[in-house]
Amino acid sequence: MVLRRRPLLAGLLACGLGPARAETRRFRIAFANLDETPGVTVEGLGFTGPDVRRSFELAARTLPVEMLYFDNAGDPARAIANAEAAIAQHVDLLIEYNADADANALIGRRLTESRTPAIGLVHPLSGAPLYGPDNRGAGRIAGRALGAFAQENWPNEQVLSVLIGDLADAGSAIAERIDGISSGVHETLPGLQFASLDTGGQSVRADALLTKFLQRQRGERILIATLDDLSAVYAKNAIEMNRRQSDCIIVSQGLDRNIHGGASEKKEIDPNNRGGVVLGSVAYYMDRYGYDVLPLALRMLHGEILPPRTFTRHTLVTGANVFREYPPFDMN
Amino acid sequence: MRVATVAARAALSVLPLLLSIAPGFAQTDCKQVIAPSPFGPDDQTGATNRITPAVTKAAAAEIQTGTATPMAFNLVDGVPLFGTRFTKTILTAVSTMPGAEFGKNKMSYMEDTYLSQSHVGTHIDGMGHIGVLDCYYNQTPMGKYVTQNYLKRLGLENIKTLATRGVIIDAVKVFQQANKLKTNSACRNPCLDAGTVISEADLQAGLKMYNVTLREGDAVFINTGWNDLFQQYPAQNAVYNGGEPGISKSAAQWLASQKVVAVGADTWAVEVVPHEDTTEAFPVHVILLPNNGIHIIENVRTDLIAAAAAQSGRATFFLNMTVPKAVGATGTFVNIEAIQ
Repeated sequence: MVLRRRPLLAGLLACGLGPARAETRRFRIAFANLDETPGVTVEGLGFTGPDVRRSFELAARTLPVEMLYFDNAGDPARAIANAEAAIAQHVDLLIEYNADADANALIGRRLTESRTPAIGLVHPLSGAPLYGPDNRGAGRIAGRALGAFAQENWPNEQVLSVLIGDLADAGSAIAERIDGISSGVHETLPGLQFASLDTGGQSVRADALLTKFLQRQRGERILIATLDDLSAVYAKNAIEMNRRQSDCIIVSQGLDRNIHGGASEKKEIDPNNRGGVVLGSVAYYMDRYGYDVLPLALRMLHGEILPPRTFTRHTLVTGANVFREYPPFDMN
Repeated sequence: MRVATVAARAALSVLPLLLSIAPGFAQTDCKQVIAPSPFGPDDQTGATNRITPAVTKAAAAEIQTGTATPMAFNLVDGVPLFGTRFTKTILTAVSTMPGAEFGKNKMSYMEDTYLSQSHVGTHIDGMGHIGVLDCYYNQTPMGKYVTQNYLKRLGLENIKTLATRGVIIDAVKVFQQANKLKTNSACRNPCLDAGTVISEADLQAGLKMYNVTLREGDAVFINTGWNDLFQQYPAQNAVYNGGEPGISKSAAQWLASQKVVAVGADTWAVEVVPHEDTTEAFPVHVILLPNNGIHIIENVRTDLIAAAAAQSGRATFFLNMTVPKAVGATGTFVNIEAIQ
């Protein structure tokens, strides 16, 4: 009797009727986004909340997850309410993107109480692993690129350096990027001081500010670090209008669509832009966060303990690698 | 003179060395990056080798009522184009003016010049369209065969007949039945939204819906509903071009395993955009064209044949489509009809 039952069981398993063929479990993951208000950019870069959300939507397509989306709308109270809603809906995991430290402390406590696993995005969430940019490291990449460019192209020449961006931003991220840029440049050009041109968050001001600067500085080579890509675009315009293309080089932060564009759009970084003054931009990949964070979430949900902090990959994107990093997709 | 000759000889002797050490000029080992063709090492034709007389004869059995359903869009100013592509006709000879007519029978005539890129409107991608590095279909090291005007291998003139059976897969119905249709608000009729991945399971569900089993030599067309936006040109061109629903890489592999000769859709690239992996560029194109010799047909008008299939219960038809013998071309606009 036993001998007859074993082949039957084996047959059932082979036919896919047994537990070995169980469907992959689909997890319910909530993503509470920082701010999806149209036109509002995040983290001092050119990305928007919808860019970040879209990355989760795209990444989720081929993963065993069901996503729930919340918009914190830049409002701490709403972030708390959204976290409560996610907990009430018994999600398997919450990805919290909220900049307010006090609200994050409260949300962290509520998640711990409800035993809801979580990942903090960009900003620390108590009790949860953090995913986000390495601001200092990204800044250092830009600084090194500027220093290397000066060393290779302008050896033994008078070199100035300029920092352009929202310098008054009180957030630590901006300060870390500036610190990284400075330390990166100093690896090859020790002691080089940066002149600061503060756009006050209005990137368009980069044009006028740099124009005034260029008119005061004649004959020097100028390394320009911009803190966002739109500022880089306006700075480039100022350089071109003042015919200083041979004296200036820009490295930016972010690599958003303002600068890499698509195949149908104007691109500042393009293999065909030989001799362009925008050398490159350090990629933050905020429009690909979902592709990094959802696999981390699944690892957590399968019992793995994540390191306390996971950094986004940063790389300098220039004309040499822009099509590999951001393949244009209108070449059918 | 002698000095010049010596210098010229020296330059010629150095040139191969320069070419061999310049990283940009190294010829890729195409056997490492492209699959070999099942039709032999000299083949330039690709999957249309599968359309044998028997296949065409069997396809002819699909003609029962003789109804021809259009599957191509009018090629006209304003339709969605990509990047710097253009299409324009110019009348270059007009003899309708009094006195310009010929002969006592007063014959007049007109001619035009087509100034157009080939991959516009409803069009077919040939084997010379897509590669990996400098390697194209059948492990062809394409750098050797590119001239300023045309390709010396893999041109459209190598295509055999496309007189075969066509199959329409209505992905809109599949997604509706599975209760997973997420439409785009710009579509007037239900459509799959940009970025929607059509898997091999979805394709199989679409075939099962009409009790169709794919045969070797079939041409498969997928209705995503996205052509609704094409029909709203130019108002919705940006939405149409901004992304699209389409097949996944594994779905493309599955179609290749079925030995089809062409895959078409009512989208501009057939494959899902944004891609499953956004760091890749057109992976389905790479699977179908260079690695399997399967043509891609884009911007196909699929809504009418999908509607006809829903009405008649028949999702198969005789594919009426011919490709000009454009020597060395990578693609061309085409007209397509589904005859049932």
